[in-house]
Amino acid sequence: MARPSVSKVTTTTTARDGQLTRRDTLRMGALCASFCIAGDWLTTSPAQAKALGFTPQVLSSQQLAQLAALADALVPGAAEAGVDAYIDAQLNAGADSMLLAKYVGVAPPDQAGFYGAIADAVAHAVANGTAIKDLPAAMLTDSVPHWQGPPASYALFVLRADALDVTWGTDTGYAALGIPYHAHIMPPSSW
Amino acid sequence: MTFMVSPLIATDHERNTPDTIIVGAGAAGLLLAARLAEAGERVVVIEAGPERTLDQLWSSQIWARRLKWSGAPVEESGDHKVGHAFNAGMGTGGSALHHYGVWLRLHPGDFQIASDHQRGLDWPFAYDELRPYYDRVQTEVGLSGDANAEVWRPPGAPYPMGPLPVFAQGKVLAKGFKAQGKRVAPLPLAINSSSYHGRAPCQFDGWCDAGCPIGALANPLVTWLPRAQKAGVELRHNTRALRVERDPNKPERIEALVVSGPDGRQRLHAKRFIIAAFTVQSTRILLNSIGDKPAPGNRHDQLGRYLTTHPATTVFGLFDEPTLPHLGVSAGQLISHDDYDDKSAAGGWGSSQWLIAHAIKPNDLLGYATGRPDIHGPELKPWLERAAQHLGNMTVVCEDIPLASNRITLGSSVDNDGVPIAATHHDLHPDARSRWQQRTTEGQALMRAAGATDVWQGPMAPMHIMGGTVMGADETSSVTDPWGRVHDTENLYISGPSLFPSSGAVNPTFTLSALAWRQADHLIT
Ligand SMILES: Cc1cc2nc3c(=O)[nH]c(=O)nc-3n(C[C@H](O)[C@H](O)[C@H](O)COP(=O)(O)OP(=O)(O)OC[C@H]3O[C@@H](n4cnc5c(N)ncnc54)[C@H](O)[C@@H]3O)c2cc1C
Ligand code: SF4
Repeated sequence: MARPSVSKVTTTTTARDGQLTRRDTLRMGALCASFCIAGDWLTTSPAQAKALGFTPQVLSSQQLAQLAALADALVPGAAEAGVDAYIDAQLNAGADSMLLAKYVGVAPPDQAGFYGAIADAVAHAVANGTAIKDLPAAMLTDSVPHWQGPPASYALFVLRADALDVTWGTDTGYAALGIPYHAHIMPPSSW
Repeated sequence: MTFMVSPLIATDHERNTPDTIIVGAGAAGLLLAARLAEAGERVVVIEAGPERTLDQLWSSQIWARRLKWSGAPVEESGDHKVGHAFNAGMGTGGSALHHYGVWLRLHPGDFQIASDHQRGLDWPFAYDELRPYYDRVQTEVGLSGDANAEVWRPPGAPYPMGPLPVFAQGKVLAKGFKAQGKRVAPLPLAINSSSYHGRAPCQFDGWCDAGCPIGALANPLVTWLPRAQKAGVELRHNTRALRVERDPNKPERIEALVVSGPDGRQRLHAKRFIIAAFTVQSTRILLNSIGDKPAPGNRHDQLGRYLTTHPATTVFGLFDEPTLPHLGVSAGQLISHDDYDDKSAAGGWGSSQWLIAHAIKPNDLLGYATGRPDIHGPELKPWLERAAQHLGNMTVVCEDIPLASNRITLGSSVDNDGVPIAATHHDLHPDARSRWQQRTTEGQALMRAAGATDVWQGPMAPMHIMGGTVMGADETSSVTDPWGRVHDTENLYISGPSLFPSSGAVNPTFTLSALAWRQADHLIT
């Protein structure tokens, strides 16, 4: 696999009067999250981090693979957008986690356990004969055979929200939907 | 209950004692800080969260979540939990840093629901008492709206700015209201429709939830903070107020505030203390202040009671015609209070209002895609593309019925400071639930009347958190007097929506600001 070229922690030069231009910030929008890749912390897009094989910090690779597969079945494009990298990076942020889960009853200290339990429940359901593509419909009605984890419809809501965040909730997602992003200030990274 | 406190560093009483220490740098706290300091007082503000500046208000629904409460968790129970994690903010500006700017007056009937309807509690004064403060605050802050078009508006001065424009979504939804014989008016907002007091006008990009860095929306960073700083207010961030302590020789006087922050644990002295830490945390600080006497304001077991939150729900529709739902402000474009004043109308109990045509994004808790988990897989993208151009949405906000049993108490665990966390219990009265049911059903009909081809609604959500340290003339049914002074103390005040004896059905920040202005007048004179 060709390794995409990435730079170690990039700095953006300021254009004039120490202010970032709109173009600078827009360019940054798709880049700049930090991932551990082969022992180094690199600043790269989640998609590149995924392609380069980032090292998970909280969940196991197998657990993240389960989450990414389900997220992609819910929101096509989520795996490519790096939903697994997003979830692991936010879990690693502890109290500063920006996962939507914190609004719906899963406080940051409990999030790693929550996501781990979803991943394990997905693996268990798949091992017992439910295809990933059939999980969303069954989860919605809490009727997944052999589901052993947080209530399936609740897990679906939370994971789907994460997948929406990374796939459609960024400047690139908006552009793909034809919505003008019109940022006042672009965030330093998509998330 | 007592706690281990170690080590306490005494401050220099003679020289350094501030006149007032305020807990909480949010909507109420910074208003009071500015007013008291401008009147010559030495004021210190204690804020649990980090310093926040306008250049940190990045336009992203994901990054916006940093602005939310990230302090001690709150244990929640009941059939309509208050949703503290979503409703509370933290850091300079508090929740108000990224509030949406819907600034509405309570109606006169909201002040006397016990007298008129034998429900909950009366306020200790009538609308006329608060009216001049509403008028004053709207001039200081700058509101946009059309007072004449709001035929249901309580008496008061017209808005200092004209209304914001109504875009395609608002025009489409207005047709539904008209078809059902209901009136709408431009939504009154603490958002500039033109330059005001040196602040820029709105650009209608819908990023209000992430905070408005250009200052078009009147968040405390652009309204009260500059005034407070100019008047010399000292702001201490990342410092948590844990409890107040009584003077052992004069127990009706509060002697010190115990805080925990970068300099460790300290006892801070002042002549007066104002707790403005938002409903749940303000009450928690008082509950944790129990010593050999009852907690302040709790001689009659009233502390934490009458906790209220508006039951609210967003109704969505897809239209054939374009609505461009990204345009506008998060708050909405139009309002309808047609049903507000008839609290005892058949079908339930309580006032309600419609906030119509919010600017909306696809993701996040309030995003249109998040609430449709049934749409997934290959059908999602075409649906999103359609919604991005053709969606309409509006929110019904209903009155909560204050119940003594809905209460903030202390939870079963302690935070990192070793201090008990807060617990909330909130059940929705069946009559308030019936009203909500009635209005959401009506909302779906309004959507269809506007031409929506596909209509759905989100879940009942808790919107705003009020009560817990309610004002009253009678100590047996309240925690503070009508000025917000805690009954059994001389120098401890509460500010914020925790003072509200009842919720009405309007968003609380205009009212809490008018109350804070009134408190400042009272304390200065
Ligand atoms: C997304 C959203 C949209 C909203 N939109 C509207 C709207 O359109 N209209 C409206 O009227 N209202 C709106 N609100 C509600 C509004 O923000 C609040 O009602 C208002 O901010 C409450 O003011 P406050 O001063 O009581 O508390 P806050 O503004 O929350 O300030 C309280 C401060 O106290 C600090 N604090 C807490 N505990 C401690 C402690 N122990 N020690 C030190 N500091 C502490 C907090 O960190 C916080 O900064 C909205 C809220 C949210 C979350
Ligand atoms: S829409 Fe208006 S009020 Fe909201 S963030 Fe943008 S400029 Fe500010």
